[in-house]
Amino acid sequence: MTSLEELSEISKTIANPAVDKWKAQGKPIVGFFCSYIPEEILHAAGIFPYRIKAKGCTNTPAADAFLAPVNCSFVRSCLELALEGSYGFLDGVVSMNSCEHIRRLYDIWKRKVKTPYSHFLCVPHKTDEEAVNWYRDELAIFKAGLEKAFGVSITEESIRNSIAVHNETRDLLRKVYELRQRETPLLTGKEAHEIVVAAMATPKEDYNRLLKGLLEEVGKREGISAHGPRLMVMGSVIDDPDYIGIIEDMGCLVVTDALCFGSRYFWEPVKTNGDLMECLARSYLKRPVCPRMSEDIGQIVTYTKEMVEKFNIDGVIMERIRCCDLWGGTTLILQKRLDERNIPLLVVDREYMTSGAGQMSTRVGAFLEMIGRG
Amino acid sequence: MIVAGVDVGSLSGETVILRDDEILSYSIVRTGADSALTAKKATDEALKNANISFEDIEYTIATGYGRVIVPFANENITEISCHAKGANYLFPTVRTILDMGGQDCKAIRCNETGKVTNFAMNDKCAAGTGRFCEVMADVLGIPLEDIGKTSLEAKKDAMISSACAVFAKSEAVSLLRSGVPKSEILSGVHEAIASRVFALLQRVGIEGDFVISGGIGKNIGVIKKVTEKVGLKPLMSEEPQIVGALGAALFAKERYKKG
Repeated sequence: MTSLEELSEISKTIANPAVDKWKAQGKPIVGFFCSYIPEEILHAAGIFPYRIKAKGCTNTPAADAFLAPVNCSFVRSCLELALEGSYGFLDGVVSMNSCEHIRRLYDIWKRKVKTPYSHFLCVPHKTDEEAVNWYRDELAIFKAGLEKAFGVSITEESIRNSIAVHNETRDLLRKVYELRQRETPLLTGKEAHEIVVAAMATPKEDYNRLLKGLLEEVGKREGISAHGPRLMVMGSVIDDPDYIGIIEDMGCLVVTDALCFGSRYFWEPVKTNGDLMECLARSYLKRPVCPRMSEDIGQIVTYTKEMVEKFNIDGVIMERIRCCDLWGGTTLILQKRLDERNIPLLVVDREYMTSGAGQMSTRVGAFLEMIGRG
Repeated sequence: MIVAGVDVGSLSGETVILRDDEILSYSIVRTGADSALTAKKATDEALKNANISFEDIEYTIATGYGRVIVPFANENITEISCHAKGANYLFPTVRTILDMGGQDCKAIRCNETGKVTNFAMNDKCAAGTGRFCEVMADVLGIPLEDIGKTSLEAKKDAMISSACAVFAKSEAVSLLRSGVPKSEILSGVHEAIASRVFALLQRVGIEGDFVISGGIGKNIGVIKKVTEKVGLKPLMSEEPQIVGALGAALFAKERYKKG
């Protein structure tokens, strides 16, 4: 199997061979809910951090009993899988105040899924130095709790090593994205998304090894030449590469994104100048933002604009999962700012599951016709 | 040059045959379970009306919900582009189009050439669509083609608070039981539809001239309510249901010329 095939397989399911292998060695796995949670701390405790996703969920009868109609279909689908037992391999979960939906998911998860260890992080909604200090303290509480629960000691040395490992992942993923920057990209958007999704479902050392293999393999490819418009995708969480596939099937190529299962996960390395816990707090808070951060809407616009220029984007698709108030509010501002710069934008509302593929195809098709010929 | 546009929608299928710039014939048929068959039925009927044979058609473009499964089409284009194209042919001054079809509803903005510049569609919801009207006509026992006219007899609107087709249906039933005249219920239903599509129009912004296409365009009750809300009198073609197929046929002409 090539590295790309291996990564693609990992992205397709919840439990994967890497999970089985890790568990067979008797080592713990902890699930986390949001890209603002520093995986380095879990990694330094000898834990495999696994980002909770909902791939494969097609119906939510059990979760519907616990969630209100206003909760989004992403958390609904995650909960469904957990209630079905798909996350039985987890030894713990770490959640945070990403949004109200994720909070509610955590409440129910704790009581109904009964994963042995659980922790809730209070992540500030601001990114100034005061917020950094607050988050550093939060991380210290988190670290102490982990040490107690798993009977380990997290040393400065192990944190330093974990940051180095994760920075290598970030660096390698940037290189993967550079392959898409070319006029004839070496990867489809679906493939690239599979690669990033796998990053959060594989122990990092193994993953870095796979990525190095991948870069070598893909480097020998011929670029994709007849690819139609170059698009960027952003908005609510997308953990299912098939969604990107549906978009590309309409005759375009997704060459970059501003997704948390995407570029926002790895774009900036963690700088290690000073107290390491503070460095983690600062880097994570200041990474390319999710609209949950209340003061930096302008940064989302800047980040989008930079991506559009760097990747030579013809149009942006902004998708929001219904009831996602964070991206819902941001859309209006983004729409206005992109309009001013004549960057075509398609806004689509969707449910988490890909069952609305027909409607999505029509919207993307019309958008491509709008920005294309004729 | 003879070309065809085939629009396979969720409730009806239409074919328009063009000779150069002139509409030679058109047809409207009810959609069956098989989209390919619907397309064929509509096209056969249009061919019969034009008194020509299938071999005379030089290029065909399919559009609509079933556009990818029209076996004899050379290409397919989304109904959004086709409605703008068709509306632009009928009314060159059009800048905003409201297409109210069988199961969805679209607000489209276009430029002076009929090219789409922005659009918005309703999602997974029958409110404001042809199917919604059908359900209401059925509940009230009035033929679909008469509900528009009947609603105009109302002295006031019955309050239909839900824009959801399922809930609105039960509301209509209970209003009927409590003796509210059918005309008032229908007027209320049309008001609910108009509110819904007006919100969609606001998402893309409304600029004159304004055209309504799609099957609901035949319901004068809805047209009246939408006109009141938008504040612009919509331009209406004689047959609003064929605008999408017409647009597809116009694209067929262009694409065939380009070779």
